[in-house]
Amino acid sequence: MERLEPALSRARAAGEGIVLPYLMVDRARSGRLAPTVTALADAGATALELGFPFSDPIADGPVLEAAADRALAHGTRWVDLLGAARQASRILPTAVMTYANPVWARGLGRATRELRAAGASGLIVPDLSLEEAAPWRRACHDAGIAHVLLAAPAASAARVARIARRSSGFLYLVSRFGTTGTRDPSPAQALGPLVRAAHAARDLPVLVGFGVHDRESARTALASGADGVVVGTALQVELDRGATPRAVGRWLAPIVAAARSVTGRAGERSSPRQDGNSVRASSRAGRTRT
Amino acid sequence: MGRRFGPYGGAYVPETLVPALVELEQAWREARRDPAFRREHARLARTLGGRPTPLYHAARLSRRAGGAQIWLKREDLLHGGAHKFNNALGQALLAVRMGKPRLIAETGAGQHGVATAMLGAALGLRTEVYMGEVDVARQRPNVERMRLLGAKVVPVTSGHRTLKDAINAALRDWIANVRTTHYLLGSAVGPHPYPSIVAELQSVIGREIRRDAEREFGRPPDLAVACVGGGSNAIGTFRPLLGLPTELLGVEAGGPRGARYGAATLGRGRPGILHGAYSYVLEDREGQVAETASISAGLDYAGVGPEHAFLRDSGRVRYVAVHDDGALAAFRWLAEDEGILPALEPAHAIYAAVREARRRPARERVVVTLSGRGDKDLEVVRGATRARA
Repeated sequence: MERLEPALSRARAAGEGIVLPYLMVDRARSGRLAPTVTALADAGATALELGFPFSDPIADGPVLEAAADRALAHGTRWVDLLGAARQASRILPTAVMTYANPVWARGLGRATRELRAAGASGLIVPDLSLEEAAPWRRACHDAGIAHVLLAAPAASAARVARIARRSSGFLYLVSRFGTTGTRDPSPAQALGPLVRAAHAARDLPVLVGFGVHDRESARTALASGADGVVVGTALQVELDRGATPRAVGRWLAPIVAAARSVTGRAGERSSPRQDGNSVRASSRAGRTRT
Repeated sequence: MGRRFGPYGGAYVPETLVPALVELEQAWREARRDPAFRREHARLARTLGGRPTPLYHAARLSRRAGGAQIWLKREDLLHGGAHKFNNALGQALLAVRMGKPRLIAETGAGQHGVATAMLGAALGLRTEVYMGEVDVARQRPNVERMRLLGAKVVPVTSGHRTLKDAINAALRDWIANVRTTHYLLGSAVGPHPYPSIVAELQSVIGREIRRDAEREFGRPPDLAVACVGGGSNAIGTFRPLLGLPTELLGVEAGGPRGARYGAATLGRGRPGILHGAYSYVLEDREGQVAETASISAGLDYAGVGPEHAFLRDSGRVRYVAVHDDGALAAFRWLAEDEGILPALEPAHAIYAAVREARRRPARERVVVTLSGRGDKDLEVVRGATRARA
């Protein structure tokens, strides 16, 4: 049961491109969760993003919205998320993504403690701007899980830097204007300055999401200097087509291969300062685990 | 401009929207101090919109109530037939000022969509309106009006296919096109600065009530009543009266009798985060937003403006719910007693006002904001009356 922060730091220090697949919790598919996560791990996923459905997912495109509607229609509840986190986190370090209201309804303190107890090691809330994030960051910190913030392409370098300084686990860089499931991330020239601003502000992995759906788009995203990618909608499309766990693993493998090949240059970046911070990050996470 | 009303409000939005909200707040701050902008706004409000609107003594309706005198603030006489023009005009002028060539809007009853389409045409802005499929079916006349005014109406087929889902769709469009598009949000809801901007643009209603009450009664109204969906006509009515001794009553939609939630967010909801703001939300125990029910598309919404949440908690405004049958009864009363067909949204407020007037002495003055006219609702009313017969 490795945790998110040390897993990502280690992958980054080793120059391995990070690949974070996204799976939505669905009570009707709970039996397939563990085999699917195992297949993703075997295919080289670094960690897992576990989605909990919300009735009004404004940052999601049609594919993930439909998946959320279905999951809710199947009666998916918070306890199902905790059960899924328990299973998944035995296989891969697991961060939970959901919208602000389900967490708020549970209570920030209670929700984050329950996630921690279930083995989750991070929380990602896509409708939480930096200005509203402080109480959430405190709750996550108190519970001992990472609070992952998102940065968007319209942000100034200064804002990306501010967000990076307040994020933990990694910085989730939204690759383009639009909801999840938009095709193709922005070209490297557009993302590069934001990735550099984040890296300059803070030694934290930067993962690019929204639009990464195959080997080529993963390469494009990583050419910006980012440390890894999040793959969500495209994986959901495979699952919607009825892909078996083994097929899902085969589908992810080329994206992992692309990530590994592009981030060969990671060695250039590993300054002594970065390594020192990675060690600190690991030991901090190690302490909270006990 | 504060981000919060007590604990309520804020901006719970994806990061992609933050720069646009900052830009909007800044543009609004500058515009409202700019004499040229204010002159242009006032000129169009008068010459295109038809402001000011009158305060009308509903003498026969008052006799039916048999108590206090009921006066109607005639926002139904405004261009487009609803108070929505006030907000659409201000924000459309802001869009021009910000150099955004495209407007998007959500609409429930279609009144805000019509107002946006009119302003889009008048100011030369491309306009797209998101509308839940259920509402497209029950508010046909407004769909036709929007199309004739050159707007594209996009039916929303996700979720419950009503106002809430139209807002989701508009927010998604804005996330994708934020650099070229202004989201002309139609109610006092959403992330900061929208609730403040919309309230300020609608406050002309309450200011005129205050002025005309002084002229007609020599004092402020004893009671002011307005319907609350998102709450824009109500906050516009209430804000200028907050510092006066006037009692304030917000009327939510109770939906069909026996409905679990109706659309009475302040009555049956609890604090939560929806559409960018912390306010009351109708939701289940796990924070999943509930399906609402109301005969009026414009009130059929699981959220409410954050300033109303604050006014509810503070006790300064009382909020009650009126069921569908009450709204239908009030619709007929106003038609038969005064020759006015109200929209079903303010019909809820009319019903509550009559109920209040009945309990009050004849010397008291009750002002109801008649936020829109009822032509759009003829089919719904006919259908409901047939079902009952």
